Amino acid sequence: MTATESPRTSPLASRPDGEVVISVTGLTKVFKDFWGRPKARAVDDVDFAVHRGEVFGLLGPNGSGKSTTVKLLLGLLYPTKGHIEVFGHSPRHVPTKSHIGYLPEESYLYRYLDSRETLDFFANLFRLPKGDRAKRTEQLLEMVGLSQTRTRAVGEFSKGMQRRIGLAQALINDPDLVILDEPTSGLDPIGCREVKDLIVALARRGKTIVLSSHLLADVEDVCDRVVIYYGGRVQAMGTLKELLATPDAIRITTPALSRETMARVLNTIRQDVAEDKVQIDTPTQNLESYFLAVVERAQRAAAETSGAMSGATVAAYLLGNEEAKPASDRILERLTLPQAAAAAPATAPQPAQTVDEEKLEALTRSVEPALDPASAKAAPAQPADLEKANEKLAALLGKQG
Amino acid sequence: MPRLVAIAWLTWKAAFRFRLFLVVAVLLLGAVVGLPLLIKDDGTARGFTQILLTYTLGAITALLGLSTLWLACGTLARDIEECQMQVVAVKPIARWQIWLGKWLGIMSLNAALLALSGGSVYVLLQWRADRLPPKEQEILRNEVLVARGSAKPEGYDKAIEAETDQQFRERLDKNPGLKADWKEVRQQIRESIKDPYQRVPPGWPHEWKVDLGLARHFLHGQPLYLRVKFNAAEKSPSGTYQGVWRVGVPRKTQLWVSEEMSLAPDTFHEFPIPPYFDDQGILTIGFGNLNNTSLLFPLDDGLEVLYPQGGFGLNYVRGLGIIFCWMALLAALGLAAASFLSFPVAAFLSLGVLILALSSGTIANAVSEGTLMGYNEETNKMGHSVLDVLAIPVFRFVLHVINLAKDFSPIESLSTGRSITWGQLGLAFGQIVLLLGGLLGLFGIVAFTRRELATAQGNQ
Repeated sequence: MTATESPRTSPLASRPDGEVVISVTGLTKVFKDFWGRPKARAVDDVDFAVHRGEVFGLLGPNGSGKSTTVKLLLGLLYPTKGHIEVFGHSPRHVPTKSHIGYLPEESYLYRYLDSRETLDFFANLFRLPKGDRAKRTEQLLEMVGLSQTRTRAVGEFSKGMQRRIGLAQALINDPDLVILDEPTSGLDPIGCREVKDLIVALARRGKTIVLSSHLLADVEDVCDRVVIYYGGRVQAMGTLKELLATPDAIRITTPALSRETMARVLNTIRQDVAEDKVQIDTPTQNLESYFLAVVERAQRAAAETSGAMSGATVAAYLLGNEEAKPASDRILERLTLPQAAAAAPATAPQPAQTVDEEKLEALTRSVEPALDPASAKAAPAQPADLEKANEKLAALLGKQG
Repeated sequence: MPRLVAIAWLTWKAAFRFRLFLVVAVLLLGAVVGLPLLIKDDGTARGFTQILLTYTLGAITALLGLSTLWLACGTLARDIEECQMQVVAVKPIARWQIWLGKWLGIMSLNAALLALSGGSVYVLLQWRADRLPPKEQEILRNEVLVARGSAKPEGYDKAIEAETDQQFRERLDKNPGLKADWKEVRQQIRESIKDPYQRVPPGWPHEWKVDLGLARHFLHGQPLYLRVKFNAAEKSPSGTYQGVWRVGVPRKTQLWVSEEMSLAPDTFHEFPIPPYFDDQGILTIGFGNLNNTSLLFPLDDGLEVLYPQGGFGLNYVRGLGIIFCWMALLAALGLAAASFLSFPVAAFLSLGVLILALSSGTIANAVSEGTLMGYNEETNKMGHSVLDVLAIPVFRFVLHVINLAKDFSPIESLSTGRSITWGQLGLAFGQIVLLLGGLLGLFGIVAFTRRELATAQGNQ
């Protein structure tokens, strides 16, 4: 018997009671016309804080103020009212920007540069030594699946490929805060999955991620906390557990049962619950998982493509590994590590865990509202592992991690 | 510094990938090679110089100036409009570094293009000079392909102004309460005072004293050149006027008297004279007017003595240096406009300012006449407008600013074989690049820093 605890596959982030990375208070942005008359109130009196290690989602329909908020956080727009601090400084504080990576909602890159030149140019702005620039460029191109197209001008890329190189430039400095505006826009399902895997991997290393999206699945898959915008105002904010939990119902998923067993279980349940309150159905896997399984089978059959390759390999310096591991090791790791398996299902999901008494007990308890955000998360990475990863990163970057 | 270099290098990449560098280089080389082919010189040293130096350097300045303005406006404004600037500005680079990096990129491109085209002019000049007749070659080597210093007679400006003021006050005192166009009265008094300094009556001589200064120490035995221009009070049937020239002072220095010369008015004439100056370096030049009408040698450019000071090569490089300073100013102008305007508006504004600067003669006229209305032929009076109260001071200020950049004339100096000193180049750098370019740069950087970069919508 298998129990599904929660729809989210939470990254192993630290608690939101950690160091405040972004603090937004009373933030208001009014766009004005040529004569200075108010034209649109894009963001209206917004407050929130993002903590170190969190994956924080800005969710809302088009035009709700998500991107404006992101641009205010980056100092590309100036607030009409309110206060923003990023790492304790104004968003316009230049040294602070060396800790930030930003992926805009469109590919705003120089079309005449090729992939390698693009990454080298941005790495230069971080004053990275030549050796590091070259190493990181290669690793990032490998990671985003563009190592075969490094000498092609970015202007010739498809939208998805441009998103990939955009993501690579956002990570060239191994940022502590990554701000991603619609990161999966224009990507194929494989690319979407890889981006989400990357977000999980970054969060596991204690990075703070701010993710702006109107794609609910993206946010649901990776975010610890979300803020939901509408009309420039915050309509809801909290952990997904807080926002999505329906505390007066539970769902039990099992392999197919015999008629007798099913009847026995139903009889037991009906003793406490009215018959019209009980629903029985056959679970279906989601389309993303099915698609990924099909592609993986095709890749095993060595089908060729002229577009972007499936990257999958997170750059070693982003993982904290000095050298990227061989592909066979990565697959093994993905299959054997529980965190990785939960975060990145590469094949159609199979019942992976037999329900036990503790789990059942927990499920029974969940009838009570469980708003402790800590319980909503999978087990965080061991501090020792993080330290080790940071040490490796520090060795690679030649500085304190 | 690596950040500045990265931004500058980006400008190079854009110029090459969009083939701007190639197109401008071809146009420049086309002008250098094509103009002398299209416009045939008359076989004289002067005609040759006019085409090989004046026209080609003028064309290079114009082409490079326009491409500089265009590139400066485009490289910043389009980066903002196409949103690439959003990705750059969130990196740890200050806005002033982005602005300065763009300027450095444009200037390094200009340096390469100017070196390419200027070098081509130099090579072509030397190569084609050998094809001139020997006499013209000699003139060319002595009068153009040299760096010559210049000395002029004392201007007497202060004395003239003081005398004008005195006479003007006397007239005011004699005619209290009289209503008159006092500005015009003062102008007429001034002209009458200037008259004996510059007019040579018919049948009379006139003498100028030119102080050669420290140059006297190395001018013994060297040929000097007299450059003169005059206006005539009446037209001559032949179109020319006769006169004789004398150099030196009897019983004090050696004396030289020219043959009777027939010279046309309103144009420059240049001829060699011997270096017969006294021990203090004062060269005395006399002119005898053999005509029936007065001749007027303007105080500012009526007479000038030119003397050898150095070689052409280095002088040419200094001349190109002043042109480079102009390009630096245009790059700052284009970037300053692009810092707060969209590309088309910035380009329009920059070109407008350039045209205004080039047409400063009109502004100068208005300032000297003291009115926007000009001279009224029907009433024989200067017109007046209520706008003059505001416009004339503004025009005077604008003219002063424009002249800070326009006071240098490297092409004219090179084509007349005049020396462009290191001091002039330094002054040009100070006035054009540091002062004017610096002010534009300051304005541009402040505007760019205050600008919200994410208000632009991507239009790639």
